[in-house]
Amino acid sequence: MALNQDKVGTTYPPYTYEVTRAKIHEYAVALGETDPRYLSDGDDCAAPPTFAACFTVIRGGAALFADPDLGTHPALVHGSQRYVYGERPLRPGDVLECTPRIADISTRGANEMLTVEVACRFQDTGEPAVTSEGVIVFLGSAPTDDAEEGAA
Amino acid sequence: MTSTIEVGAELEPVTQTATLTTSVMYAGASGDLNPLHYDEGFASQVSPTGGIIAHGMFSMGLVSRALTAFAGGPERVVEVAVRFTRPWPLGTTSTFGGKVTDVSDGVATVSLWGDTEDGTRILRGTGRIRV
Repeated sequence: MALNQDKVGTTYPPYTYEVTRAKIHEYAVALGETDPRYLSDGDDCAAPPTFAACFTVIRGGAALFADPDLGTHPALVHGSQRYVYGERPLRPGDVLECTPRIADISTRGANEMLTVEVACRFQDTGEPAVTSEGVIVFLGSAPTDDAEEGAA
Repeated sequence: MTSTIEVGAELEPVTQTATLTTSVMYAGASGDLNPLHYDEGFASQVSPTGGIIAHGMFSMGLVSRALTAFAGGPERVVEVAVRFTRPWPLGTTSTFGGKVTDVSDGVATVSLWGDTEDGTRILRGTGRIRV
């Protein structure tokens, strides 16, 4: 089944995420991080850059996967991931407003590539915190030549 | 950090063995509970390698750890972008590193990579850090 190209540009309703010290600590330990700020109980606590994975990868894709008109299917892999950061790292107590959007759908061979953007802003200031751009590869989902001929 | 950030400078590499423990810890920490990353029975049916593979995001986290240490902290990291080029099978050890390719307008561009011990490139990408 092919993805629905008409969905490119679709924005899904924003969700909020609250950054906590315990989650930063847990994430840093899972990566074997040694920077004491990631594990700090003090005001200097900050999150490592890829902490954004906690609220963009699964949560960011959830709205898209729940959209019956997009035509997703379960044979997928995470092809690439990009994070662009704002002026400062995330800290405990930050509340983020995260807006998922379908940035692109493209075909490469038999596969389709879905680019999911999640723009996350600090709720209090509206300033950009981090933008996630993930490419999900749907294996074997591209329209076949037969299908194209059938449509023509 | 005492490293000089100039073209050709290299990150201090990060080496990590992917194990069931690292996979379960990353699953819990990140919230990505796909059983492909810790359930042998499930992985044997759907995995491209026939076995459990590490989260791509775990490998990105490790190369980002090397980049961030080199940069001097998370406040200096502007962008991290990677492509997951091959699966990282559990039980194998990978090394993550990078090299500065450009410094201009106060930003250094760093090419990033992750290789298993047999030389398979599981990840490549680009970081940008404030200098």
